[in-house]
Amino acid sequence: MSRADAEVRVGAVAYHPRIVTIWETFLEHFEREGVTTDYILFSNYERLVAAVLAGDVEIGWNTNTAFVALERQLGEPARILGMRDLDARFATLIVTRRGEAFEDARGLAGRRLALASRDSGHGAILPLHYLAEQGLDAASECELVRFDTDLGKHGDTGDSELRVIRAVAEGSADAGALGESTLAAFRADRVPAVSELEVAWRSPTYYHCNFTALPSLQDAVAERWRQALLAMSYDDERMRQAMDLEGVKQWLGGDRAGYESLAVAMGAR
Amino acid sequence: MSARRLEAGELELGGGLEVLLAAALEGMPPGARLEVHTPSRSTALELGSWARVAGHASVGERIVPGGPYAVEIERGPFARVLAGPLPARRSGPPLRDGELHTADLRPGANVPEAAQAASGFTPLGAVAERGAPAFRWTLNERDALWADDVAELAEQASAAQWDASRDIPWEAARGLPDFIERAVSQVMTFIAQNEYAALYVPAGFLADVNPAYPEMLMWLASHVHDEARHVEVFTKRSLIGGQPSHALASTELSLHTLLDERDFSGAALLLNVLGEGTFLDLLRFVEHHAPDAATRAAATLAHRDEVRHVHFGISHVRRRIAADPGQAAMLIAAAERRAAKLTQMSGLSPLLTEGLTVMAAGSLQPAELARGAGDVRTLMQTMEDNRLKRLRAAGFDHRDAQHLSDLHTPNLM
Repeated sequence: MSRADAEVRVGAVAYHPRIVTIWETFLEHFEREGVTTDYILFSNYERLVAAVLAGDVEIGWNTNTAFVALERQLGEPARILGMRDLDARFATLIVTRRGEAFEDARGLAGRRLALASRDSGHGAILPLHYLAEQGLDAASECELVRFDTDLGKHGDTGDSELRVIRAVAEGSADAGALGESTLAAFRADRVPAVSELEVAWRSPTYYHCNFTALPSLQDAVAERWRQALLAMSYDDERMRQAMDLEGVKQWLGGDRAGYESLAVAMGAR
Repeated sequence: MSARRLEAGELELGGGLEVLLAAALEGMPPGARLEVHTPSRSTALELGSWARVAGHASVGERIVPGGPYAVEIERGPFARVLAGPLPARRSGPPLRDGELHTADLRPGANVPEAAQAASGFTPLGAVAERGAPAFRWTLNERDALWADDVAELAEQASAAQWDASRDIPWEAARGLPDFIERAVSQVMTFIAQNEYAALYVPAGFLADVNPAYPEMLMWLASHVHDEARHVEVFTKRSLIGGQPSHALASTELSLHTLLDERDFSGAALLLNVLGEGTFLDLLRFVEHHAPDAATRAAATLAHRDEVRHVHFGISHVRRRIAADPGQAAMLIAAAERRAAKLTQMSGLSPLLTEGLTVMAAGSLQPAELARGAGDVRTLMQTMEDNRLKRLRAAGFDHRDAQHLSDLHTPNLM
């Protein structure tokens, strides 16, 4: 069967060439599970959201920012079909040079705060939101040093976060925000710039990516696709490499509980 | 369930703590808990995400102003490596006076009869992880490759390495009379030409051998390496005197048919037993009649290597025929196929016969030339006699041995 006849089309953003490897492998899994699926790649989340809303794809593999934007344009709750284990417990960290950490958000007042791309939920939007909740209006009380690289990819490339930690390490910023899994990856890869940085602050947890569909997607199709996703196993040698590339060890059904803060933050933006 | 306790001390993530954590969690069953204590607030704030990225869960933490700090990690359900558990540690292979010999690597010399064609580069004793890409090896059966002493032969090959640049007294080869140099150069060129084929034949099989037989790989690699050095030393000897010679078409024809044989045992018979076997006598002759110490040393050192190659061939063919007597007919058929392609060859090239004669005579005087010609005739007889002995040693009966010897290429290899 040609993939052009697939039952479900998934849209994803091609933030790295590995996305092709990931989805070519995932499609084999969905085929084995009896839900023929194809993928369509977009260069930015704005186009992906538009494609989901227009019905050009049944499912979008969205960042939290894209999901909130989609729901806002839709005007009603969308359907969440799944997320990675990591997505269900995400947090943003603020790092400083060693010895310059602060224990309270107010400790950042008057300092230069580096932020990742302005459309990144974890790298820019949510740290500002949570700092505000804790009594610091960073936009007015800090000097913001923004690294708006790869706009449209919502921070997926990690490029702006790398610039953030370099800015802090080199002294052109006093503190910098990045996703906690990004820092874990930098530590694991022994990225030199992070060796002299320490974590000063950690945000409350929130949700990150999810597979989003419109409410109009047939329940039976949505459920079969979700079950196929959940059946993907990290212990399956055919899938492990692709799951590692996607940063997932276990897929979860997902829910809406962890998007409230971002919805508020984006409403206020 | 009470949690195990791990003191991180001054260790941080990215600075060695992850090694301690991985070692501790590896030994715990899924669901078991590890309480990590650290004096670093930063490390405590990062431990949860480290755990999640590593496939575990962070199930509790104590992060209070001023510390101390603690994070509780629950071991996740995933195996880090997609393979069964490793066997328990056992005693390693024995040593021989402090030496670790290849032949002692497999307990009980337990070599598997067959290996999976798709299997990967799994070193002896290692446990392969699932999910590796599939290879397509074509030499996957022990008996089609093996010689009982292959590990010892590979061992000897490693121990007997020499250096064609430094171990030959090259100065001694300069300044020979023209007629002698012409003769030596022609013989050296002929030998070098044949050594090329002796290199390409094992090299052609090497990359087809299943990695489950590392002794075979070590052996074939040493064989290829030996032949590369032989090409080197005989090429250098033909060049050092400044006298070029011909690379003969008849030799090419013979060697071309040698490379046509794609069955490993057939090639072992044609190359190792018959070709290199016959060359043993040729190299002895060159060693004996060399007009200079460089030529003599080259022949001596090459002969030492060829003894191993011939030994392997005999050992392999004998084992093959003993395991399956029907193989003898297959091997004879291989020799017959090759001989059928060589019907246009009438005998050893006159250029080579003349070169050998002059080398043996050491002079162009009639009496010496007559003696030299006699020595070459004796060489041919010696080659024939020894070929028969080697074929008998390889497991052929007298009649088949004679038949195979008669079929052997006039080119010697």
